Amino acid sequence: MRKNLQISMAKTTYMVLVMLVTLCTASPLFADESVTAIKGGDLYTITSGIIKNGTVLIEDGKILRIGQNIEIPKNAKVIDARRKVVMPGLVAATAEVGVGGGSKIADSLDPFQHDVSLALASGITTAYVSRGGPSGSNPIGGTNAVIKPTYGDLDNMLVKESVAQNAAFRSWMGKTSFRQNLRKAQAYLQKLDEYTRKKDQKKLQELKKPSGVDTYIRLLKKELPARLRATTAAQILDIVELIDEFGIRVIIEDAIEAWIVAEQIAKHDIRLIITPRNKRRPNKYISAPSGSTLENAAILKKAGVKFAIVPTSPYFQTWGVAGRDLMALPMEAAFAVRGGLDEQTALEAITITAAEIIGVADRVGSLQVGKDADIIILDGHPFHHKTFVEWTLINGKILYDKSKSPYFSHITHND
Amino acid sequence: MSNIHKYILLNILLWMLSIPAAAAEDITVIKADRVDTVTSGVIENGIIIIKDGRITAIASDIEIPDSANIIDASDKTIFPGLVNPISRVGLSSAPSGGAASNPHYRVADELYPHQDVYKRVLQTGFTTLGLVPGRGGAGIAGQGAVIRPVGNKPEEMIITESGLLMINFQANDKTKKVIKGALDSAKNKTSSTDPKVQPLINALQGRIPTYITCSGPGEILHLLKLLEPYKKMKVVLIAGSEQYRVADKLAKKKIPVILPPKLDFEPFTRNRINVPKMLTDAKVKIAFSPRGDGIESHEDFLRAVTDLVKSGLDKEIAKKAITINPAQMLAVDYRLGSLEVGKDANLLVLSGDPLDVGTKIHMVMIEGKIVHKAP
Repeated sequence: MRKNLQISMAKTTYMVLVMLVTLCTASPLFADESVTAIKGGDLYTITSGIIKNGTVLIEDGKILRIGQNIEIPKNAKVIDARRKVVMPGLVAATAEVGVGGGSKIADSLDPFQHDVSLALASGITTAYVSRGGPSGSNPIGGTNAVIKPTYGDLDNMLVKESVAQNAAFRSWMGKTSFRQNLRKAQAYLQKLDEYTRKKDQKKLQELKKPSGVDTYIRLLKKELPARLRATTAAQILDIVELIDEFGIRVIIEDAIEAWIVAEQIAKHDIRLIITPRNKRRPNKYISAPSGSTLENAAILKKAGVKFAIVPTSPYFQTWGVAGRDLMALPMEAAFAVRGGLDEQTALEAITITAAEIIGVADRVGSLQVGKDADIIILDGHPFHHKTFVEWTLINGKILYDKSKSPYFSHITHND
Repeated sequence: MSNIHKYILLNILLWMLSIPAAAAEDITVIKADRVDTVTSGVIENGIIIIKDGRITAIASDIEIPDSANIIDASDKTIFPGLVNPISRVGLSSAPSGGAASNPHYRVADELYPHQDVYKRVLQTGFTTLGLVPGRGGAGIAGQGAVIRPVGNKPEEMIITESGLLMINFQANDKTKKVIKGALDSAKNKTSSTDPKVQPLINALQGRIPTYITCSGPGEILHLLKLLEPYKKMKVVLIAGSEQYRVADKLAKKKIPVILPPKLDFEPFTRNRINVPKMLTDAKVKIAFSPRGDGIESHEDFLRAVTDLVKSGLDKEIAKKAITINPAQMLAVDYRLGSLEVGKDANLLVLSGDPLDVGTKIHMVMIEGKIVHKAP
């Protein structure tokens, strides 16, 4: 009896030892997880084509290497992406997510907002958010920022503040005020330049900056684009004239009739944010072309215009009509393809071009070495209606896993 | 000696002076079935001797003085009086508005004794209330007071006149600026004659607790960042139910929380969650406060706490969360919140365990005086 007990104790000790050794070597708990590898997927790099059966290595939240036949470090954490599509996280050029009240976005970010987790489930890893805007006769106002939906993590949420100037150029009062302020700023800059060149210290000291022109100076110096809404061709042409006069950079939102004036938009290097499914009835009182067309994006592309695509609603919603908000951003881009746009440009419109327009293309929007490891892994082509996001990584961390999340884990396609 | 200790010592001294010497024969003895001390276990067949409003002895085998008034509770349980750490019972509605700094505002100046509501609160077992400036409006709301819900004059009700500083936090630039600006104006100072500054100094030095309200886990992260430079502050948090998402951070910073006793739903699901249990599992200290200032939520209070215990909250922790923990948060645990020799005789005579369904309150005593007796 006593002997048996000893034997069983020895056995137990041995078993525990074996288990410990196995744990130390096999368990990811003890592995050096400084490197993550996404292995075996089709890499939609966006900026350099599709790499079949490729691997992405991630270190310190950045993309370390991309390609085929990449050796995976022994202790790396490996995500098996065989038969999956690996692409940069989607960029929402207009969104309403992760921000509370208040006029300074950085001071009211909410990483625990439910919409933040819905954004992750939708594959969106970068979003432009804005607060306030022009009011009354003041053509500029409000603030904006680019954020990442880093659920539960406040420190990594803000990417960049003030990436554009919210503006309006629609009412005659607003338009007049916009022009006057730009002229004031321009006159000031001209004098400043003239006196500086002449080294006229006295006049330089006497030169007073007019009040309220700081933002207009930044617009004139092209440090900041003006971001405004213009749905009709006439409104867009108004803005074209403004650019002719002052040479400012402009982003136009909701450019439904852009296809009518595509050439002028291209010539003036205006960036657009469009919604292919937005419809507008033609104006029956004018003989010239008007209204919306499904071909908007395709025509703009042909003219060489850069545009981002957003859905009709900037929200992440569990109510309303499915497919019309940011929970189905690729679907919106797919409608542009339906209207004749090539798939590559449509993909760019929700990744790299969107990132460029909101001023963060140096960090996100494509699978490129050195960029933030904001990556989504999909179970099919991004434009297929059955496709779901399986994993979402931001800064190299898995923040969404479809199988462990309540949103879509129960939906599977058997064919 | 830390500042909070000095402050407590001063309070103890004032407290000793405040009670007039009573006649030597003013002794009450309670003979009980069980005495639940909360801090040092249960004494079966316990006897409590009360002199001059304070407990002078608790044990099962003490000699009873001849001249004592004897309360026979030999089939009853004795439990400390309940402490509500955050309340606005009996106060008129609080002003609200945009972000503002009003540290000089004092609840103690707005007390109205003789209100029926205080009698009814007593009947539900609460013997101590932490009255606070309103939760509406952002910024620094003012100073709270610790009171007993008995007395004919405000002075008779007050235990601590400027017992705490209350801040209503919101994650936006304006509110942050107001709060930070006010705190920084009092930083590196030890005293001030400015009534707008002195309470801030007391809070910054940790001489009085600082209550901070905010609405969700995201706001808590902003708040923790804002509080970083003010290391000595004794912060007590009042946040929404989703605060469990940052429980580890609260535990690490040793920030206790006050919350209503209720079961919640996990947001956007129908899964029941026991937030007090989640917080205490993460080693966050908690105190319960009734869900509202209405009498219904006071009457429902012990039943609601019992529900949480039934669904997993540790019973001993739950008992502390309605007595000694809120007393600590109000910095009055040196004199109340548990049944201990030397403490105020604030106690309840109950038909059974306070966290058993159906237990009735037979008698409520504050500082040795019977303030409520069930008919």
